[in-house]
Amino acid sequence: MELNICYLYPDVLNLYGDGGNIICLQRRLQWRGITSNVTRAGIGDRVSLADYDLMFIGGGQDFEQEVLLEDLHRGKASEILAAVEDGKTFLTICGGYQMMGNYYQTHEGVRCDFIGAVDLYTVGSPTRMIGNYKYRCTADNGGSLVVGFENHSGKTYLGDGISPLGTVEAGYGNNGEDGTEGVRYHNVFGTYSHGPVLPKNPEFCDYILQTALERRYGSAQLEPLGDREEAYAHDIMAKRIGAK
Amino acid sequence: MGIQVFFASLLCRFLKAVARVAHRGGTAMPGRYALKLCPDLLKVLARDVHVVAITGTNGKTTSSRMVEEAFEEAGLDYISNRSGANLISGITTEFVMNATLAGRPKKHYAVIECDEAAARKVFGQLRPEVVLVTNLFRDQLDRYGEVTHTLGNIREGLKGTPESILCLNADCSLTSSLALELPNPCVYYGVNGTAVSSREKPSISDATHCIRCKTEYEYDYMTYAHLGGYRCPQCGYRRPDADVAVTAVVRQTADSSVVDMDIFGEKRTVTVNLPAVYNIYNAAGAITAARKMGIPLDTAVSALGRFNCGFGRMEKFDLGAGGTRMMLVKNPAGCNQVISFLREIGEDFTLVVCLNDRSADGTDISWIWDAEFEHLEEIRDRIRNVYVSGTRAGDMQLRMKYAGIDPEKIRLETDYARLVDAMAAQEVPVFIMPTYTAMLDLREHLIRRCGGADFWE
Repeated sequence: MELNICYLYPDVLNLYGDGGNIICLQRRLQWRGITSNVTRAGIGDRVSLADYDLMFIGGGQDFEQEVLLEDLHRGKASEILAAVEDGKTFLTICGGYQMMGNYYQTHEGVRCDFIGAVDLYTVGSPTRMIGNYKYRCTADNGGSLVVGFENHSGKTYLGDGISPLGTVEAGYGNNGEDGTEGVRYHNVFGTYSHGPVLPKNPEFCDYILQTALERRYGSAQLEPLGDREEAYAHDIMAKRIGAK
Repeated sequence: MGIQVFFASLLCRFLKAVARVAHRGGTAMPGRYALKLCPDLLKVLARDVHVVAITGTNGKTTSSRMVEEAFEEAGLDYISNRSGANLISGITTEFVMNATLAGRPKKHYAVIECDEAAARKVFGQLRPEVVLVTNLFRDQLDRYGEVTHTLGNIREGLKGTPESILCLNADCSLTSSLALELPNPCVYYGVNGTAVSSREKPSISDATHCIRCKTEYEYDYMTYAHLGGYRCPQCGYRRPDADVAVTAVVRQTADSSVVDMDIFGEKRTVTVNLPAVYNIYNAAGAITAARKMGIPLDTAVSALGRFNCGFGRMEKFDLGAGGTRMMLVKNPAGCNQVISFLREIGEDFTLVVCLNDRSADGTDISWIWDAEFEHLEEIRDRIRNVYVSGTRAGDMQLRMKYAGIDPEKIRLETDYARLVDAMAAQEVPVFIMPTYTAMLDLREHLIRRCGGADFWE
């Protein structure tokens, strides 16, 4: 078995250690004897997402956002739209998650159109939602408890009929108001969690890998791994967050 | 005004004395209260002092110590904020302790390290004669925000002191962009392409696109991270020629570097009494600042061969059969430099990584995944043991596992006393990579064991 991973915009969307998710995906495939091929597709690179099973988009700095949007509208946006509808698996984090939605409206009211692959939108707020947090994935997202670090001023709201990834147990999540965190649409997983999210949450990582492998091979059985160190780091944070 | 200065200074001295009796460092707290009483206190006390200020993401403390050593050799009587209290409060405390209660300075020179976020408040009051800006990298995003935001803070601070001579790192496109919008006289230092053998391109750069027009930079060469010979093909913004240039690297060892430099037109071979490329930059920056403060060239050069940084920056401790060195890490750029240093020392060693997530370290520890610990896999046979410690030891353990280090070699030890015992039992050199507060805690244990001075003494 093999899995083709496309790391979108590693050149500009690489803040907060999110690239660690790629390291994690690759290792957990490697430890099970599954080949992974990672392609980095940055600004100006042409890419056909039909060739890939799993797409990753991380968070970035505001400084490069204009460059990024220009590039998206030169072809990658339509590639992403098609791949989403085709059931390809996406893991999108923070800025990358927001980008999958319809738009971002700044606190001052300036609207910036995004890809529109998932019916959600984000509104800038004057306060930053920052800190360690945790959420429980819904049952159809594996049901695991995820610990992570959020750092965003945008509040994200999901459209009618769009399901969140999970329910916030401590922290802010999508908007700090409705208790939702992230999104799951077709096989798109969106979350605000940095950390990076996957290494400390191996169940969530494996759920995503499972989804991508099933889409490609029809069915897939992931061998369990030891995960001693993973569980240690996860449990310490799970206990600490919200304990105060 | 005079009476305000008097009472604020009195309060500051009183609080400092109390803190001392209570055996607390107490370098920032007294200044904080004194500034509440007299908001202009620092401005008044710094007025008749020749100040060189050092800011930037990495290398502030080391560069400051290098400049201090040059002052020392030149026989100048100076003050400095050695304790690392580099916010306006700590800096104010230092100036109060240097002044009479009437506000007159006792010593007339100062070497001041300034936190890059605090620069906005500090520079206008301090009015330094010379400001050295070392570099800008992503750092503690939860505290500083984006790197361009930090750049903005420094720029705002410098607007309050238009006559200061700026010593800028020519190879950092973010740092040297300060010259674009400020009227200050500027000089540049850097590493020329002639001194650089080809190196791998870093996987993450903090400045890929032109600060002026957002076109992707082209590079003639890179030294590390985003530093090097950059130019924008669109608007023409490029690395300025360096007035102080490293033209060749003669020799690099585990303890020092020897380089050829062109210093404002004069050629010298310079020994830097610290290893690793980033310290070559620190040395070039320090020479530039020292020269601009009027230190004779050969005094500044010989100081670099002599100085000893300490305080967690390649600091040596007589512990274990092969000795112990502490190398502070705070962000991916600095951490990658330490990792490449470890790759180049040709002997077996034990690695200790202490990761804390207190506010001075940054509460977001995700940066450890931006640092290229994967490179350690290439020298896995030379790594005897890896100890992970600190408030986020579990995360560090995980990082090491995913970097490809044999899990059998990784040991988690959160008790510093036992950790120091384990280090003492090593037969090979020990290298400690601590974050800031872990460095402070661990250093106390090491000093108790090996001797040395507490930081506020």
